[in-house]
Amino acid sequence: MATTTHAPPSGAGTSRTGAARRASILILGLAVLALALCASVMYGSRSTSFGDVVDVLSGAADPNITTIIESRYPRTALGVLAGLCLAVAGTLMQGVSRNPLADPGLLGINAGASASIVTATAFFGATGSTATMWWALPGALIAGVLVHVIGSSGGSTGLVRLVLAGAVLSAVLMAYIQAVTLGRPKVFDSYRYWVVGALGGRDFDVFMSVLPFAATGFVIALVLGPGLNTLALGDATAASLGAHPARVRAGGLFAATLLSAAATAAVGPIAFVGLAVPHVVRVLVGVDFRLQIAFSAIAGPTLLLAADVVGRIVLRPQELMVGVVTAFIGAPALLIAVRRMRGSA
Amino acid sequence: MTADQAGFRTASPRGFLTLGRTVAVPVRRVSVVTALVLVLLTAGAATATLTLGRLGIPLADLAGALTGGAEGKDAFVLERLRGPRLVVALGTGAALGLSGALFQSVTRNPLGSPDVIGLGSGAGAGAAIVALMLPDTVPVSLGALAGALLAMLLVYVSTGTGFRNPARLVVAGIGVAAVCTAITQYVVYAMERDQASVLAAYVNGSLSARAWDDASAIWLVLLAAAPLCALIARRLDIGEMGDDIAAGLGSEPQKTKTAAVLLAIVLCAGAVSVAGPIAFIALTAPQIAKRLTRVSGPHLLLSAVTGALLLVLADLAAQQLPLFDNLPVGIYTMAIGGAYLGYLLTREWRRGVL
Repeated sequence: MATTTHAPPSGAGTSRTGAARRASILILGLAVLALALCASVMYGSRSTSFGDVVDVLSGAADPNITTIIESRYPRTALGVLAGLCLAVAGTLMQGVSRNPLADPGLLGINAGASASIVTATAFFGATGSTATMWWALPGALIAGVLVHVIGSSGGSTGLVRLVLAGAVLSAVLMAYIQAVTLGRPKVFDSYRYWVVGALGGRDFDVFMSVLPFAATGFVIALVLGPGLNTLALGDATAASLGAHPARVRAGGLFAATLLSAAATAAVGPIAFVGLAVPHVVRVLVGVDFRLQIAFSAIAGPTLLLAADVVGRIVLRPQELMVGVVTAFIGAPALLIAVRRMRGSA
Repeated sequence: MTADQAGFRTASPRGFLTLGRTVAVPVRRVSVVTALVLVLLTAGAATATLTLGRLGIPLADLAGALTGGAEGKDAFVLERLRGPRLVVALGTGAALGLSGALFQSVTRNPLGSPDVIGLGSGAGAGAAIVALMLPDTVPVSLGALAGALLAMLLVYVSTGTGFRNPARLVVAGIGVAAVCTAITQYVVYAMERDQASVLAAYVNGSLSARAWDDASAIWLVLLAAAPLCALIARRLDIGEMGDDIAAGLGSEPQKTKTAAVLLAIVLCAGAVSVAGPIAFIALTAPQIAKRLTRVSGPHLLLSAVTGALLLVLADLAAQQLPLFDNLPVGIYTMAIGGAYLGYLLTREWRRGVL
């Protein structure tokens, strides 16, 4: 917010000091991300030191330490991927709907993915994280579209409507999920482990199977950056500038859905990363969506990895799932945002 | 009901049933007729609850059984299985309906209900924490109670404007609910499977295996709250015209609101402590009551009867629908209430209220 208060359709680096500031934020962001990566492989039920990590990377560590640290690679990789997906999806959704509360979790996408996965495990015998991924995607897509259809019925898409529509759809889908899981102990078991949202206990196969969706979504997001900037000026202005608001919106929704479905399928529903990161990023880099998307891709993984590390430390030797930690970080942020909401309706 | 009608005809030409100078319950002909119909429907649903199914008491024997002539299997079903459950359902439904009506009247917000402000999820989280941390020492229902109150307090504080602003209320409620849900899910994850599924059923709101203790608990709450509700009914009615008018008419709006919110919390907390957080009855019952009569006012009595009817119907479905076995009643109310909330929202949007 500090550098630019209006939406620049073209100029990101118009001012030299702004560019320098953004460059330093970028370097700082990457440094913090590197720290989070290190912490993610260092800490756990058996902690190692930074020297150990360096030794492992240079191939000079003792085999036990190497095994411990390498066992944390998959969850770290998943943390990076899921964090990026959620944060970029949140940025896209907030841009598309011009709704500062838009978040994949609040908009029913999690419930859609959950319902789809529960259906698959209960009725089609789907097991394994790759199969889960393939089921989560259509569920998330359908739910995302439905919420937008309900939320925009009868006029323009308002601030609260999408959230409410998401809450409604989530309620109905949750009823369905409970109905299916409570009668089937096996499905209930796998669901309760999935729904809490955790990075641990998953292997590289999961990472590889969601990677194509995440990558597709991310590329679309990058391509849409300039279009989203134009959209921020309002539909009429955007159209007069030769943009296609409807196309940008549909593309943004599609990419956001791909990204959040990928994250949800890989690590379970994780709340608030997609909501909080875009706000922080907007404060740091301003309103240019190209920068917002790029910085979200750094800040999201950082937040998720940090939350995961915290979850591993606070309850040692047990773990607090990353989804629980993010809820505890995110909810106070949301409540503070509520106090600042303008308007009486 | 006959006394009400008599009072309505003789004492109160302006549509109020008065009792001395302080008590004035709004009673209109359409409300009385609607209430009668709803009571009849509830009686029908209650009869169905007692008679249907493999263990049901045959319809012909029901009157005898109710007047003390039940023997053997029928006595067991009436006194131990379905009797207490039905009485709990009636009381809990009425308490929730009344609570919702009070909330919606005070907030002048059709969404200002315990469900939307995260009370249910708070109760779930409280129950979950107690079940995990203090098993066997603290009853789960007490945890639910504490969680519900805490969640509500949190929403109240974080909106900064109390319960008045619908947008803030809803968003803060969603935020608090998200944390509470995360806690509950973690506990369900961390427990043994059998315990976890019992807890999962409880946090959805369940009426199975309720005893007479639960029935007396919720009915005591209801009976204690009812006269107080009657005391403030007229002031609430005036309050719906707006604070300024209410103040001008000599009813102290702030005091009325505080009293109504406190009553609503007591009623809702009572319901949660016997049946867990049953979704959406408090939200939908007042709305349905309002649509049935199409007159203004908080509709306290009608909302209570509607709530009882809805919950008995949902519990009937939970007991008798062959599709899913033994689901907690809260799942039925969640599905139906969610759909109704969707309908309600689209209506409000068309009218441009939200």
